[in-house]
Amino acid sequence: MRTNIIKITDISKPGQLTEIDLQELAPLPPPYDDYRNLPGFKKLPKATMENLSDSPDGVLATGLSRPASKEEEERLINLFISGLKKLFTKENNWTFLQPLILSMEHCAKCQTCNEECPIYEESGHNEVYRPTYRAEILRRLYFKYVKPTNPLMRKFMQGDIEVNWELISKLFELSYRCTLCRRCAMSCPIGVDNGLITHELRKIFSSEMGLAPKELHEKGTVQQLIVGSSTGMNPEVVKDNMEFIDEDISERVGFKVETKWDVEGAEVLLIHNAGEILAWPDNPAAFAILLDAAGITWTMSSELVGYDGVNYGLFYDDVQLARIAMKHLEIAKKLKVKKIVMGECGHESKALGVIADRIFEGAVPRETAMTLIEDIVFNRGIKFDPSKNDFPVTLHDPCNITRAMGVIEPQRRVLRYIAPKFREMTPHGVNNYCCGGGSGFAIMSGHNFLDWRMHISGRRKFRQILEAFKDEPPGKEVPKYVCAPCSNCKGQIRDLIDFYGAKEKSGLYYGGLVELVVNAMVDIKDKFIDFDMM
Amino acid sequence: MILLILTYIAVIVFLYFNIRYGYKIASAPVHLRWELYPVPHEKGRAQYGGSILEEVDWWTKPREKDKIAELKVMIPEILFLKAIWEHNRPLWLGSFAFHWGLYILIGNMFLLILSTILGFFGFSINAEQGLIASIIFYLIKWLPIIGSVIGIIGGIRLFMQRIVDTDLRLYSSASHYFNIILITLIYITALLWAVTDKNFVNNSISFYSALFTFGNISSLPLVAYIHIYTTLFFMIYLPFTHMTHFFSKYFTYHKVKWEDEPNLPKSKIAQKVSEYLNYPVTWAAPHIGSDGRKNWIAIASTFPGKENQNEN
Ligand code: SF4
Ligand code: SF4
Repeated sequence: MRTNIIKITDISKPGQLTEIDLQELAPLPPPYDDYRNLPGFKKLPKATMENLSDSPDGVLATGLSRPASKEEEERLINLFISGLKKLFTKENNWTFLQPLILSMEHCAKCQTCNEECPIYEESGHNEVYRPTYRAEILRRLYFKYVKPTNPLMRKFMQGDIEVNWELISKLFELSYRCTLCRRCAMSCPIGVDNGLITHELRKIFSSEMGLAPKELHEKGTVQQLIVGSSTGMNPEVVKDNMEFIDEDISERVGFKVETKWDVEGAEVLLIHNAGEILAWPDNPAAFAILLDAAGITWTMSSELVGYDGVNYGLFYDDVQLARIAMKHLEIAKKLKVKKIVMGECGHESKALGVIADRIFEGAVPRETAMTLIEDIVFNRGIKFDPSKNDFPVTLHDPCNITRAMGVIEPQRRVLRYIAPKFREMTPHGVNNYCCGGGSGFAIMSGHNFLDWRMHISGRRKFRQILEAFKDEPPGKEVPKYVCAPCSNCKGQIRDLIDFYGAKEKSGLYYGGLVELVVNAMVDIKDKFIDFDMM
Repeated sequence: MILLILTYIAVIVFLYFNIRYGYKIASAPVHLRWELYPVPHEKGRAQYGGSILEEVDWWTKPREKDKIAELKVMIPEILFLKAIWEHNRPLWLGSFAFHWGLYILIGNMFLLILSTILGFFGFSINAEQGLIASIIFYLIKWLPIIGSVIGIIGGIRLFMQRIVDTDLRLYSSASHYFNIILITLIYITALLWAVTDKNFVNNSISFYSALFTFGNISSLPLVAYIHIYTTLFFMIYLPFTHMTHFFSKYFTYHKVKWEDEPNLPKSKIAQKVSEYLNYPVTWAAPHIGSDGRKNWIAIASTFPGKENQNEN
């Protein structure tokens, strides 16, 4: 019999609903199995908890300030309800209205989706992380405010819900406890999509109330639209940085590597997640080497937004999504390129490749880097020596490339060829688990959110990685490479490795796909992947 | 006569509200692409969840859609509740039996309609009227019994699970229990009618015949009246519940999960989307920059300056 019972209506009560207890989390394999030897979970100071959001779980991803007065609280409640109503209008939300209504109307409360959610499972079945918890709250709000019926009838049919500050602040926080990985949606017999529901919740907060994590909004889409990139790099800085990377790489590989800028009519407009340029410069460098070796005419854009494929609007705000996607389209049209290739970034690939497809009207074709890399590896006459990748490799599947786009095999065909010690995770491909940094989490670390995404949302992936290498010597004597062809996933995996000390304890390293490909090129004399430098 | 009129009303309400809801969903704007792989019509790739986007220059390649593959997913899902079998085994038995009870009773309803129509052409259904007539006769006699027994087992199991299993109970409103009781009542009354009424087959056919001809309904046992009234109530009630998933599942699968149509220049989708882009945006957050009239194109091609970014 469960003792930690949390009801849907508890969301409107003041105070925390649950506490993270490391002992209750699903245990990790050795040497990470004793929670006392792992980093703890930061408890927020009392003053923070009193001043900021009514957190459901003692974690703060957003930290919304408490309303200073009754009037302020009223204003927030009214805004929330007006946002809720607008979410169900075709004018404001034609983008997702049909799937949203279907997900509101037809849940059978069978809970079939629950066990598919890595967050719910790894948390030791914490009620507030159940895929249906947030969804059911929005559903009750929908039946109360958007499709009102007689109150008695509504209570009988759907159950009640009360909107107050407590609900708003907890729900805001809870909308950032789901990575939008949509694994739950795969299992739902009806086709209800709890990931979509979370996505739509985030839109009420952002588009109507102006509330979003600053990493996604102010430092994310706003900075990108104003400065040019969510990294803060303006066009001059990005060119300088790439020049520096080119010089460094040319020295390392012994031939000239040069980034091309604003080449009209190029075959490929390559748009990286600009985070690569700052955090993993070998990735854009490896692309440059490969594209040149393949004889493909390619370019990057130095125009505002054009050199950063990031589009965090995908995670929380359709208007921001559309603004950034339209900039990408405009730039590609101006350069008259044959196609856009999205760099190794899952959410960029999904945003440009499928989500924005409906506003692109096929004007400029787009494809993921996975297909281009496969084409280069197998069809462009480049010589590879797979034995150069003589270390164990596993592949992390970014949800946005696999489950959302169906791009599964190209990256595998490449790995099977160039990485002789490649092995799959279980499960993989379209059934993969999210890295735990999806939907923007990888760049969110405020308050104690980093602890949450390391201990809870990233736990399943960390376990999967360890299990993929279980037939190898467990320690650091054998370097093990986690290939994550996505910037956000890479950021999360980097954080996981650091957090758990897994480089020292297990010899875990991470990187992209294209680095492995270049490392296997016969023409690259020195190691391109050098574990001593990582 | 009242029973007849109520039956017509129930049928009309059932059809009207379901069609109205179906129309509302079908005519909702084309949404942004939100497919979820595996998409079964991706020929040669569906088994591992792949798509045409795996091809370099995919827009130059022919798109091959395998519609039969969609059926291969839909049929086991509808008939055997495959998703529940795979992901929620404890719920499967109850759910399967509960649904199959209904499938069998609905199947029987079609047999009754067929028998009624045959009756108009002088082909009466009874046990001594030749092979086909006697097959139909015994089917009509036994299907309700078999279907109801299966349905009752499912109903009791689901009801108990909803009470005993905390995960289910926490998310069940009163209507969930009511729905199970209501449908189980339909099964129980069908069973009682079928086993207690010696003229069950004839009485059932004559009810349908009266419906078609607006004629008199021969006198029925009390349990038959309870069964029919309960069923009529269910028909009127169903369109207002989540149980409309019996047809909306078509949309969640075909129009969302498997909807992967690329938007090509001058396509129907392109036309529709250009219409939506003229919708006025009224979201109120300052960064949206809405004045209540600006449409999506105007909003998406501008960005209010820094002074409007003071949010949170
Ligand atoms: S979302 Fe689907 S699987 Fe989950 S409870 Fe609702 S109907 Fe069941
Ligand atoms: S989308 Fe992913 S993280 Fe969110 S509830 Fe579903 S399975 Fe869990």
